[in-house]
Amino acid sequence: MRLINRILWKDHSRAHLLGAFLGTLAGFVLLLGGIQFYMDIKSVLTENRDLLDPEYIVINKKVNIGQTLGLDLAGFSEKEIEEIKAQPFADQVAAFISNEFPVSAYTENERFPDFITELFFEAIPDEYIDVKSEDWQWDPEKGIIPVIIPQDYLNLYNFGFAPSQGLPQIPKGVVSMINFKLRLRGEGRGNYEDYQGRIVGFSNRVSSILVPLDFLEWANQKYGYFKKNDPSQIILVSKDPTDPSIIRFIEEKGYDTIREKLKSSRMNIILKFVISFLVIVAAIIIGLAFLVFLLSLQLMISRSSDKIKRLSKLGFHYREISRPYILLLLLLMAGITGFSLLLTSLLAGQLHQTAETWSLNISSSLHGIIYAFALGLILLISAANMAAILISTKKLCK
Amino acid sequence: MTIRLEKMIPLPMLEQDTGDSEVWEADSLLLEQGKSYVVEAPSGRGKTSLLSVIYGLRTDYRGTVTIDDRDLSTLSMKEWSALRKNKLSFIFQGLELFDELTALENIHLKNEQTACHSRDRILEMAGVLGIEQFLHRKAGILSFGQQQRVAIIRALCQPFDFLLADECFSHMDRAISLTAYQLIRRECDARSAGLILTSLNETDLPHTHTRLKL
Repeated sequence: MRLINRILWKDHSRAHLLGAFLGTLAGFVLLLGGIQFYMDIKSVLTENRDLLDPEYIVINKKVNIGQTLGLDLAGFSEKEIEEIKAQPFADQVAAFISNEFPVSAYTENERFPDFITELFFEAIPDEYIDVKSEDWQWDPEKGIIPVIIPQDYLNLYNFGFAPSQGLPQIPKGVVSMINFKLRLRGEGRGNYEDYQGRIVGFSNRVSSILVPLDFLEWANQKYGYFKKNDPSQIILVSKDPTDPSIIRFIEEKGYDTIREKLKSSRMNIILKFVISFLVIVAAIIIGLAFLVFLLSLQLMISRSSDKIKRLSKLGFHYREISRPYILLLLLLMAGITGFSLLLTSLLAGQLHQTAETWSLNISSSLHGIIYAFALGLILLISAANMAAILISTKKLCK
Repeated sequence: MTIRLEKMIPLPMLEQDTGDSEVWEADSLLLEQGKSYVVEAPSGRGKTSLLSVIYGLRTDYRGTVTIDDRDLSTLSMKEWSALRKNKLSFIFQGLELFDELTALENIHLKNEQTACHSRDRILEMAGVLGIEQFLHRKAGILSFGQQQRVAIIRALCQPFDFLLADECFSHMDRAISLTAYQLIRRECDARSAGLILTSLNETDLPHTHTRLKL
């Protein structure tokens, strides 16, 4: 060991350094574990999240007796859409387009009774829909039509229709495997074609059956013969969907929107709150441990002040004198980084096993950002301590 | 290297009667490399202060001190440590040894800075001063006279243009003092270095030197 290290390391307090080490380690594990947990939960929540982003608001007209009698328009006219576009809260506005030909769906499955229903389609531009793009593609060659249906449809089936008819309930994940055909009919007898349908997702926010826009445009071109209707729903994107002027405008104009989404986001908010609390506690612990670190090293330096002055008299520059302290600091920091990553990954493994029993899919290994975060924080703490060491040794050498 | 003192006087000396001092009363005092100076004075006349000012340990003085025409008060910490590693060596009156290191380690600490001497040369010098059998003991348990000899060898384990020796024979008997003095002179001559030696009453040191009365 170098002589200067031996001279200056002699004055350390094992209890102080150990305390600072363990404190920082505990803070790190809590913080990294919190971030890991948050990212896991976020990915679980994202899986169950609505396919439409929360800042998207779907507006429709309230149904009134005038519409029933055919005196009032159910759709939004060009003028009304322009008016919505002109509102200050409306960053983007898009109208739903609908099918201009008859559609029906039917099953050909031995496990289900034959089932046929008339349907309708609506479409909005793809950028408003949050499904994997490979699932949301229309290829006339393959002839598979991806469909998003309201969550309520599945609920109605699972909790109402299926039990009463003695039919099997269908879990969400299995729905995409259900085989059904979609029959698109053009004008005139016998002018129809069948396509494969595939449910790729559910939405709580749109009371409609959504298909890709390019498919609907293609199909309207090919089969359409209805009179074009005004769109009955409008999608509105706002930077701040909580802006009260949006609700005021909607009510004033006699429009309506689904406010259901608020409920699902509450869970998210509570979770965020718990995690932020954890992160704040961890930050406080790390802050305190950092102070203990700083003070332990400073105490060590001031205990050695005679020796430091002596070394300076012998021609050692203060940078040379601070080197043993910096080396000690870096050794401890490397230890903290290693141990905290090890403990956090053990924790993540444990969490992964627990979550598996609830059939939640969370990762068993650390997220990449955890490493980056640990490294960044360690560098920050090391840099601050290094600066303090240099300043106090310089002061003693003057 | 030349050291020049111009009307330099440490502030505490201002309160004393420095009537016939050849240093504090001099308008300009030039100390030249290659020459030996013996500063003689009873206690309290500023012997240690003089060396401390030249070595940069004290800055509470009036007047100016220059080394090779550089005003000492303008030197940076980096320049001071370079100076103390390569140009100026100091045998401290208070020795400044590390008690927890062995005598040899104390010497190595200095020697490693510039890799000045071989281990054999260090052992040889220790032999000359009669402390080779103590080299592996902790410096803290050696007698003051033995520690003084360790400090002398340490100060010789670096290149220098001037060696400042502050009452470095005070706890040695006459014979060892002379041997140590001769060793110091030999090392100075080998480097063509100057020597400033303070002493209470070294009246009969061999070799030529300039006496300075404080």
